[in-house]
Amino acid sequence: MVRKEEAQNLEAVRNLVLSSLEHDQLARAKKHHIPRRILKGPELAVLWGLRIYLLFMMAVVVYQVWTAAH
Amino acid sequence: MSVGSQPPQTNGIAGDEVVVITHEDVDRAHDRVRVSEARARRGFFPRARLLWLLVGPGVLVMLGENDGPSMLAYAATGAKFGIGFFLPFVVLTFCMAIVVQEMTVRLGAATHRGHAELIFDRFGPFWGWFSMIDLAIGNFLTLITEFIAIRAGLGFFGVPPWMAILIALVILYAALMSHRYWTWERITLAAAAFNLVFIPVALMTHPNWHAVSHALITWQPLPGFNKEVLLIVLADIGATVTPWMLFFQQSATVDKGLTTKDIHFGHIDTVLGAALATAAALATILATAPLFAHQMGADNFQAAEFAQALQPIIGRFGASLFALGMVEAGIVASITISTSSAYAFGEVTHKPHSLNLPMGQGKAFYSVLTLCAVAAAGIVLIPGLPLVYVVLLVNVVAVLAMPPALVFLFMLVNDREIMGDLVSPPWANVLSSGVVFVLTAAGVLFGISVIAPNIFAALGGK
Repeated sequence: MVRKEEAQNLEAVRNLVLSSLEHDQLARAKKHHIPRRILKGPELAVLWGLRIYLLFMMAVVVYQVWTAAH
Repeated sequence: MSVGSQPPQTNGIAGDEVVVITHEDVDRAHDRVRVSEARARRGFFPRARLLWLLVGPGVLVMLGENDGPSMLAYAATGAKFGIGFFLPFVVLTFCMAIVVQEMTVRLGAATHRGHAELIFDRFGPFWGWFSMIDLAIGNFLTLITEFIAIRAGLGFFGVPPWMAILIALVILYAALMSHRYWTWERITLAAAAFNLVFIPVALMTHPNWHAVSHALITWQPLPGFNKEVLLIVLADIGATVTPWMLFFQQSATVDKGLTTKDIHFGHIDTVLGAALATAAALATILATAPLFAHQMGADNFQAAEFAQALQPIIGRFGASLFALGMVEAGIVASITISTSSAYAFGEVTHKPHSLNLPMGQGKAFYSVLTLCAVAAAGIVLIPGLPLVYVVLLVNVVAVLAMPPALVFLFMLVNDREIMGDLVSPPWANVLSSGVVFVLTAAGVLFGISVIAPNIFAALGGK
């Protein structure tokens, strides 16, 4: 009797979740990765610009930490 | 729901795929049912209830960004320049924040993925890990500055530093203890409402409303152009839009369970948050404007020093409110910033990351969140630590993080594969790319000014 109630309860919860949430809102759906984007010329240029910017800024941060330490 | 407290279960089959329902799903589903019920009804009160149910991430992110250092920046603005150019300028910076944050609402609602996760998946592990680590370092340093503000604010009341830090950690932990996004959000919103305490403080200074309205309409009087003004301009921009905001609002939108149907309310939430935060920021400038009128130097003032300087003007009660406002700013920011770090960690490592998780299922998420806060709080208590240097480093790291975060945001929100018809229209792209350019340039300039202040010597000033 208790098991039957439990099963009904589980079924009710399952129905509630599946009717209320979109499929990709389920926690388990988020385990799947979204496919990687195929980047074109201008996008690749932007990312290379970012890499150069980061190298420059990291050098600046390291310099700043070094000067502060001394 | 009793079932929801149990471990993940295999409850049924949809097509060929086994559908696994978790505690997180059940909690989110309950929130969505309330939203659906409110949406199904017509009339003013159901619409108001729908708004009440859907506001949260936008208000939290905007009031969260009115954090300790930001409120100090606004206080310094009022004390150094009084009523004038900076009043409408701060309004403009919040308008820019709306343009940026609106994109995170659309991204979160359309993809149900956080910002770090989307960067990782769409642009590869290098940029994914970079974004997460960069955000984590920036957030950690910012958290230290929040605890500095809390310590300084409560110090005004004679609270010893260790107790001030303990109070902040207890509040942070109390919000987490519900293991429920909805409850966490409401507790944090209640705490964030205290950001508006700067409004009565401003009223106590009896501002010249004619001068205020004149400044808001004409942007006059102009402060002139020198190094000091440039730094305040850049600091005020930096006080309005920072990298953690992008990550936090998108992750919170996902955790709250917003869908594409809710984007309109997400926009209202963002604008409402910006309006409240603008009011608090303007009030802070007005509150400290009398210090400008009395020609009191406010260089390097901390929270308690501003409160003490204002005491002869607005009395002990007003000064206490000001100090309490600083404490609130630090506490709310420490809650939201540590949460954004935990979200980003979970998104990149694909570990469960939700405030709906019970402790057992969200060990990594809660551990990261707690560790960040406790470690930052602990550092503030180390005697003789160069905290001023930490504050300076925060700005540099923020500069490092901002351009990549903004560029990825812009590329993601125009990614038709994940956004479908919700990609930005051309006019919105023109607007947002302009804002992205201004914010990136301002961030870089601010970084340069912090690292090599002599570069701006040609502009004059101190």
